[in-house]
Amino acid sequence: MSTVLILTPIIIGSWPTISAAVVGAAAALGFTMQKAAQEVLQGAKVEEGVQNVEIELAESEILAQSLAVNQQIVLTKGDIRLTVERDARGRCKVCASGKGRSKEELKQAAEEFTQRLTQCFVYNKVMKELKSKSFQVVNEEVTQDQGIRIHVRRWVD
Amino acid sequence: MAQHEVEISISKTGDVKVHVKGAKGKACLEYAQWLTEVIGTVKSQQMTSELYEPEAKSRINLQQNLKVEDDSA
Repeated sequence: MSTVLILTPIIIGSWPTISAAVVGAAAALGFTMQKAAQEVLQGAKVEEGVQNVEIELAESEILAQSLAVNQQIVLTKGDIRLTVERDARGRCKVCASGKGRSKEELKQAAEEFTQRLTQCFVYNKVMKELKSKSFQVVNEEVTQDQGIRIHVRRWVD
Repeated sequence: MAQHEVEISISKTGDVKVHVKGAKGKACLEYAQWLTEVIGTVKSQQMTSELYEPEAKSRINLQQNLKVEDDSA
């Protein structure tokens, strides 16, 4: 052994990069992506009993120059809807809403999604960087606790 | 040629554990710095004995020196 690092990820990327992680997280958690996000949002009526919870990824930044105005991703799973967007400060924001759902339930859904989004983002970024340094993947697995383990190797002179 | 290995574990909550193996001294620190820049900020870092071992070429020189001393004794 040489060194062991425990790292807290920072999510910084363009909208396409973030979107790729959003799609991965959505698939992992069984959410379906809505194609026309704006239509869904504009068509959504304010109904009684619909709660809203917003969670901001503190250590995140979506690069502004690559983000079109009002660009959002809307995901649904049953009666829970998640909206992923860039807030005014450039951070990634996840808003959860759902009829008949308590704020606690929505907060839990949003937190679970942001955690999985972070996992997908880190995975995509790490794999890209490892390949750029000519590392070969020896093993890659999803552990029982839903973590991802990557084992890579390279030979150097 | 030396074999450098890295094990990366990404928990479901997004925390990342990186384990650099086989790289010694400066090379090990360079991997740690590079992966920190790629992923985020360091929460904790544990150095192990291998980090302080000399790289392969230096170790061979040391062994040769010891052999010379043994011969002279």
